[in-house]
Amino acid sequence: MKSILVIDINKCTGCRNCELACSTRHTNSFNPKRSRIQILKKEDQNMILPMVCLQCEVPLCEQACPNGAISYNEKGTLYVSSKDCIGCMNCVTACTFGGIEIDPITLKAIKCDLCLGDPACVKACDYGAISMIEAKHTGLDARRRGVDPVYQTLGIERGEVQ
Amino acid sequence: MTFPYKGYAGYYLDVDLTKGKVHKKEMEKEWARLYLGGSGVAARILWDRTGQKTDPLGPDNVLVVGTGPLNGSMFSPSGRMMFAAKGPLTGVWAESHVGGFLGPEIKYAGFDFVILNGRSEKPVYLYLKDGQAELRDASHLWGRETNVTTEMIREELKNPTAETAVIGPAGENGVLYGAIIVDFYRAAGRAGLGTVLGSKNVKAIVASGSLGIEAYDMEKYLEANEVEMQRVCDPIWTESLGSLRKYGTTDLVAIINEIGRLPTKNHWTGFYEDADDIGPELIAEKYRIAQEACFGCEVGCKYIIRVKEGKYATGPIGGPEYETIMAFGSNCMNNNVESVFHLGKRCDLLGLDTISCGKSISFAMDLWEHGIITAKDTDGLELTWGNAESQIALVEKIARREGFGEILAKGVRKAAEIIGGDAWKYAVHVKGLEASGQDPRAHQSIGLTYATNVRGADHLRSLSSLEELGFPGIVIDRFGKDKADAILDIMSPEHKGELVWDMEDLYALVDSAVICKYGTMWPPVYYFDTFVNVIPPLTGMKEWGDAKFVRKAAERISHLRRAYNHRLGVTRKEENLPHRLLKEPMPTGPSKGGLPDLDIMLDDYYKFRGCDRETGYPFESKLKELELDFVIEELKPKGLTR
Repeated sequence: MKSILVIDINKCTGCRNCELACSTRHTNSFNPKRSRIQILKKEDQNMILPMVCLQCEVPLCEQACPNGAISYNEKGTLYVSSKDCIGCMNCVTACTFGGIEIDPITLKAIKCDLCLGDPACVKACDYGAISMIEAKHTGLDARRRGVDPVYQTLGIERGEVQ
Repeated sequence: MTFPYKGYAGYYLDVDLTKGKVHKKEMEKEWARLYLGGSGVAARILWDRTGQKTDPLGPDNVLVVGTGPLNGSMFSPSGRMMFAAKGPLTGVWAESHVGGFLGPEIKYAGFDFVILNGRSEKPVYLYLKDGQAELRDASHLWGRETNVTTEMIREELKNPTAETAVIGPAGENGVLYGAIIVDFYRAAGRAGLGTVLGSKNVKAIVASGSLGIEAYDMEKYLEANEVEMQRVCDPIWTESLGSLRKYGTTDLVAIINEIGRLPTKNHWTGFYEDADDIGPELIAEKYRIAQEACFGCEVGCKYIIRVKEGKYATGPIGGPEYETIMAFGSNCMNNNVESVFHLGKRCDLLGLDTISCGKSISFAMDLWEHGIITAKDTDGLELTWGNAESQIALVEKIARREGFGEILAKGVRKAAEIIGGDAWKYAVHVKGLEASGQDPRAHQSIGLTYATNVRGADHLRSLSSLEELGFPGIVIDRFGKDKADAILDIMSPEHKGELVWDMEDLYALVDSAVICKYGTMWPPVYYFDTFVNVIPPLTGMKEWGDAKFVRKAAERISHLRRAYNHRLGVTRKEENLPHRLLKEPMPTGPSKGGLPDLDIMLDDYYKFRGCDRETGYPFESKLKELELDFVIEELKPKGLTR
């Protein structure tokens, strides 16, 4: 079964330790700008929004890549082969969720690969806001519920998971 | 690059504001090795570049923006940074620390320190990005409140994640306790460093970076880091941390009132009958909407509030900390918590230190009660206790230095001099810095902390929670069984000199690393060995693996800051307490009758510090041992060593 990250933003304090942990795991340095998970903030509205790859069922990033650099690893998770990525940013444009971006140092695309099943961010979150669960119906619904407060802040009605 | 250590960005920025030039320089190896970073390095820089003749608000003052190796490197809590300069409020050493996200971002932008020299002709702000630095025009930002300034800067830089430190109108207008506001609602509040920025025509410091920080040995460092984190995660602290996460520092209002140490009625007493009205339960239940945390912090003491309706209705803002609630609440006898929120919010937006501002107002209310000032002096404002509307009017007047606000904008020491008569009796300060929210009549060692703190009357250089909250195991570990009983007795002066000396050195490292006091002050789990464990694998500085070397570095930082003040005329006479806290026994509450035995504690402190009892001056032999020969060279000919 495929896995996804679920984030409960009611628990998220915006401390960004997940960014630090992610960058440490993937770049061997402390560099949140190179993290695969990003916390967006709008302080004056008290909005804290974690952004990370949703592991889509129909991944637009994969379809947009002209070089076949985005493919499934042995765990069934989409990842970017930095060897094959040409940094064209097509995937960044294609993803409507802000789940894939360009590494400011290598200038190649980066996205969450779930750390091969042992995500650094999950362990680093002292508030228990991030968990990895199976991508079945209940999991997808949990993911949606996790961001409810943002829907409220922005005044958007929440639909049911299909 | 020849700077050999990791964990640092490796560069500092020397800014000549007068000429409008920035100079990027490689970090000095000896700064890191001998002083670690933050306060330690700032002390070295200010020792070299400022002194007796420096006008705190003149172009000759120097403002240091500092970080340390632990910032942004997953140590918790390390989302910190610091500012230091010669202080405008006190005329002596001034430093102020703040959390949030800017400190680490400055490092990711490629700099460990920024040194601001001179004075810009026009308002500017400094933008640090990926190893580059630029002074940008800030004319359109001048006069704006702090939140708007940050939003405008992010907008014009097209960088919504840029982190900022900004000043408000108060700092621009020369209020002597102007604060520096970081990330909307965190403040490097104390000692007027926002006003130093204002005097230099610097509106903001902004950073954004993707350069990252490396560790000398990442695997070993993360391992050592994990061991330290586990100390905080020990189940014995679960409940305490839980309360901090649930209430933030507001919890202290209840805890401290219970021991009779909550400054009330301009420090007249330590017990506030209406404390529940401004206490943690009410705030959490009625106003709190979210928890927040500084960068990578597992404590998460920050909280967000909203007031839905009424005169003080507000959208989401950072909730007031304990000190703000104390300063505008109990200490002014104001139990209307919504007005306290409003006062805290206005101080953040205007860029005022809530402690000094609140204490200046409570001082004025005390004078009003004693008939020393009347409506003639106060522009018609009624300064009766608990008068929230008058408090609010005064905050605005202070920020604009208008009418009576002009006098209070100078802080209580100078205001008392101007008003004259018996006003000095009600001015609760040390070295010109208004006292923070503690009281030595209920907690002996805080008296010594206030007296010896290099920046004046506040707790953050050496407060001990060991006897305040009672941690016998830790006291025995650190000071031995023989001394434990006396140390744990909150009203015994015995061995408190040793206790405060030890804390001051520990915090010297905390302030140089630069980490938060949570984890060190309370819960008191990090100690000198923490630095021994994490600094070598992070930085590659092998000497820091030696406990003796680390202790010596801490002492060196403490002594250098003290020497800075000696050079400006500070002696034992100035390491004193205000009349009210030293001579007037606690009149009411659980600590009724209490008074600090300052002299006994000072004698003990000087003995451990390696200073002369009569004068407080350092022994030459001590300075030599700490490799502070350049200090001896300067102090000895002036007779300031023993």
